Amino acid sequence: MFEMTQVTKAYRTDLLETHALREFSLTVGKGEFVAVTGPSGSGKTTFLNVAGLLETFDSGSYRLDGEDVSKLDDDARSRVRNHKIGFIFQSFNLIPDLNVFDNVDVPLRYRRMPAGERRERINSALDLVGLSSRMKHLPSQLSGGQQQRVAIARALAGDPALLLADEPTGNLDSLMARQVMDLLEQINGMGATIVMVTHDPELARRAHRNVQVIDGQITDYKPYEAHSASVTVLHPPAADAAYG
Amino acid sequence: MDIKPILSSLRRSPTGAILVALQIALALAIVVNSLFIVVQRIEQINRDPGIDVASIFFVGFQASSERFQGEVTMREDLAVLRSLPGVQAATVVNAVPLSGGGSSTSMYTEPNEKGRRGDMNYFQVDEQGLATFGARLVEGRNFDATIVTKPARNSSESPSGILITRDVAKDLFPDGSALGKTIYTGTNQPVTILGVIDHMHGSWPGWDKVGNVALFPVITDETYARYMVRAKPGQRDAMMKLAEESLGKVDNGRVILRVRSLEYVAASSYAEDRAMALYLTVVIALLLGISALGIFGLAAFNVSTRTKQIGTRRAVGARRTDILQYFLAENWLITTVGVVLGCVLALVLGYWLSTTFELPRLKLYYLVFGVAGLWVVSLAAALRPARRASMVSPAIATRTV
Amino acid sequence: MFAYDLQLAFDSMKRHPGLSALMVLAIALGIAVCTVTFTIYHAMATNPIADKSSQLYAVTLDTWSAERPYDDDKPDLPPQLLTYRDATYLYGSKAAPRSVVMYKSGALLLPERDGVKPFNAQLRVTTHEFFPMFDVPFQYGQGWDAAADEGPQPVVVLNHETNEKVFGGENSVGRTLKLGKIEYRVIGVLQPWAPSPKFFDLNNGSFEDPEDAYIPYGWGKTLEMPVYGNTNCWKPEGGDSYQDFLNSECIWLQLWAELPTVAERDKYQAFIDNYARSQKAAGRMPRKLNNVLYDVGQWLDRNEVVQKDNRVLIGIALLFLGVCLVNVVGLLLAKFLNAAPLTGLRRALGASRRDIIRQHMTEVLVIGLSGGVLGILLAVGGLAGIRAIYGSDFTRGSYERLTEIDPVVVLVTLALSLLAGAIAGLYPSWRIGRTAPAVYLKTQ
Repeated sequence: MFEMTQVTKAYRTDLLETHALREFSLTVGKGEFVAVTGPSGSGKTTFLNVAGLLETFDSGSYRLDGEDVSKLDDDARSRVRNHKIGFIFQSFNLIPDLNVFDNVDVPLRYRRMPAGERRERINSALDLVGLSSRMKHLPSQLSGGQQQRVAIARALAGDPALLLADEPTGNLDSLMARQVMDLLEQINGMGATIVMVTHDPELARRAHRNVQVIDGQITDYKPYEAHSASVTVLHPPAADAAYG
Repeated sequence: MDIKPILSSLRRSPTGAILVALQIALALAIVVNSLFIVVQRIEQINRDPGIDVASIFFVGFQASSERFQGEVTMREDLAVLRSLPGVQAATVVNAVPLSGGGSSTSMYTEPNEKGRRGDMNYFQVDEQGLATFGARLVEGRNFDATIVTKPARNSSESPSGILITRDVAKDLFPDGSALGKTIYTGTNQPVTILGVIDHMHGSWPGWDKVGNVALFPVITDETYARYMVRAKPGQRDAMMKLAEESLGKVDNGRVILRVRSLEYVAASSYAEDRAMALYLTVVIALLLGISALGIFGLAAFNVSTRTKQIGTRRAVGARRTDILQYFLAENWLITTVGVVLGCVLALVLGYWLSTTFELPRLKLYYLVFGVAGLWVVSLAAALRPARRASMVSPAIATRTV
Repeated sequence: MFAYDLQLAFDSMKRHPGLSALMVLAIALGIAVCTVTFTIYHAMATNPIADKSSQLYAVTLDTWSAERPYDDDKPDLPPQLLTYRDATYLYGSKAAPRSVVMYKSGALLLPERDGVKPFNAQLRVTTHEFFPMFDVPFQYGQGWDAAADEGPQPVVVLNHETNEKVFGGENSVGRTLKLGKIEYRVIGVLQPWAPSPKFFDLNNGSFEDPEDAYIPYGWGKTLEMPVYGNTNCWKPEGGDSYQDFLNSECIWLQLWAELPTVAERDKYQAFIDNYARSQKAAGRMPRKLNNVLYDVGQWLDRNEVVQKDNRVLIGIALLFLGVCLVNVVGLLLAKFLNAAPLTGLRRALGASRRDIIRQHMTEVLVIGLSGGVLGILLAVGGLAGIRAIYGSDFTRGSYERLTEIDPVVVLVTLALSLLAGAIAGLYPSWRIGRTAPAVYLKTQ
């Protein structure tokens, strides 16, 4: 349900042109939990931005949940992000002025959902992450782990097709990190498709499949073992070419 | 439009918003009251003086030798002036309207200063006086040459018949017509009202009875006399030159001192009102400008500190217009609070100004202008920062720096 | 430490040039408007003879009608002018150490010099005390004496401009000049002298140009010279001659008395009250006893030299400054709080709360002072603009004198800009001073 084919993105400044993604291809099946790893500067963040439709790309194609999202205009991309993608950021990115309830509410508001439905979804999302009791609290009154869980609730509330996690435990201590990862696994167990970007190989191991990015290209993958949902075979690019 | 997040955000850090609202409130109060005063002054300046200001000019002269023969000489000069091709009418007059200098007297409906009193700023003119002023009679007739007199200097003799304006008529005879009625001077001389002039301004534009004017059929004493000339439309400047030349050629014991247009005199009399209007207009412009800049500065700053939040919102699905609307709505909310407070302040200030300085009371519809104006200014100022906010890339959300 | 604070202030301003410029501009505009308004107000409110102000008194008697007060708006005040009879008596009594009687008149001046057109000269018909009493400065020659008033002698004192115009500015003492029908001999020429306001005679406008020439008082009666000031009569008296006019209740003369001590003033007050009582006994002065002596300051107030409009403008200027300050407070708050991480770092490195507040107040004062200086420059431009628009000869010379830059006003407004800056900066500095050292050092 997630299919990037030969995606290239370059950043141009006056002095130089950096290719952050070079003929990048990745397919992810429904219900999969994929970790995208790589050293810093490898293009992980660019991949994430492109996958999340936060940035456009120069060439290639990208299909998401049955829709070709390659050449959408800004408004359309916003719509797709709103309906189909749930983000989990490294620095949580909760809005500090709003309480927990209102933070989870944000994406639902942009969907122009009626109040009753929103309340229902928020309640069940917060229930799932175990923070119903903190509905009126402000982010500053929560621990890092709790904030991230609120962020997860926010990502889930809209029932997205894809969850994109960017270094979800990067700002957490080991205890909270474990809690968050347990939660992610739990959610994945309920059928959510998760693509997680991380530099931590320990973290990556908890995913079903690992994909490595170096210099904007996928260089490595570990096939998934015993996954029941349909799996599309990966298209490894000319691996030797990368090292060539 | 979801107000709640805006309110939550404002409640958490209200100081900036309070300052903007306060600034808008003060600006509104000042702008509204200043605008009111400006309009008052402009209305004052634009009042219809009831005379042909554009075409009238005055020739100042003084007797310079024994050859000057009083009335005879003045009539000689008038003949010269009246013969000029571009002149409609000319007369001798004791004062210049709208100049701040003139004479006034009071007359009564009954002898011995009893009955109703009419104050009148009088102009001593001959039979062409009315035509020279270009004033309009609504009742009765202009006096003719037969009743024009030249009393001796220092004489307290009064003319037998006069023309008065409607304002004087109303003071003397509030019910019914003043035409043909007799009124009495302080020394019990009877005076008949020969005609009523529609409307005319006299010597003192600042006097609340500036419309109380009378025309006396008198050739005034030469110490105070000047010639008043009404040129044909469009010919005033040419006639001013020609008049000076023509009179200069006549050597009859007087010198021509100065030829001045009524327009010039009137403009000078209103100089202070104009200055006040100009000053306040500048203040209004500066006020709106500084408010716009201040709101712009604060809004831009506001946006710059919230880029992470904006990026996050965009990441979870806000479109550019959603972000734009958010910031414009925030601005609108603060502005509305400021505007409401400002209306209260405007009324308070207006009340205080009117009681302390005896200015007229502020009219309510000026508040509408002020409110509309400040809403527009605030919106315009916040537009660019709001647009800049909407352009924040959603990719900011994934940046960790 | 101050030098360091100053350096920090400039660094901070450089980091946010737009915001800093905006703040300086806001203060500058507020100060400019205040300066222009204060300058004009100060010029209007000034006492042009301050050192003698409490010794010179305008003498007023209430000779007005019993039926109505002189001024309906101020029914308790006596009229500002005297009748001929009263002025003559009071002056002649010599009850004051020195006094002067005068009025404004005019006559045709026929210059002998080529190229100078004859003009209607504005004359002050006055007794000889005018010059010493009002400290009138002479360039050439001097005034006349009591005998000249009596004569009257055909002597004249010219003002500076008239001497320039008629005699080319040279020492014209001894030359003759024809005013009306009489040839006068010039005995004195004044230095440029234009007290503003023209306190001794406010009848034709408070800031009018001074008269062109001065002639002895006796000429008024001898030549039956016209009154160019105010003449007001309440009593219908008939009469057809100049003598009737002199005997009437018409008021048209100004009388000033020099009363150097309080004792003198009280004595004179008693004198004029007694005179009034005797006149009342003779059937005159029907209103209740109300004879007022005004010193120069009081006289200026009585005649409302500073108009309503000017007071309104001062209020509006201050309010405008207030709006500018509110603006600046908001911008300062934004600027300071934005630099909170940096401030937190400083606190962590050892700056006390007081150091932080002092540093920020220094920046505020720099902004305030810059705004003040810029504001004064703008004000100078504004005043020049006013002069340019309103400097026509008919506007009674007032705008020239009223828009002169006054060093007192400049100093006051500079102080005001510092004060304004300080007030605006207090809250934001205090706020940023409260920054806990470590709060902003965390990344989130």
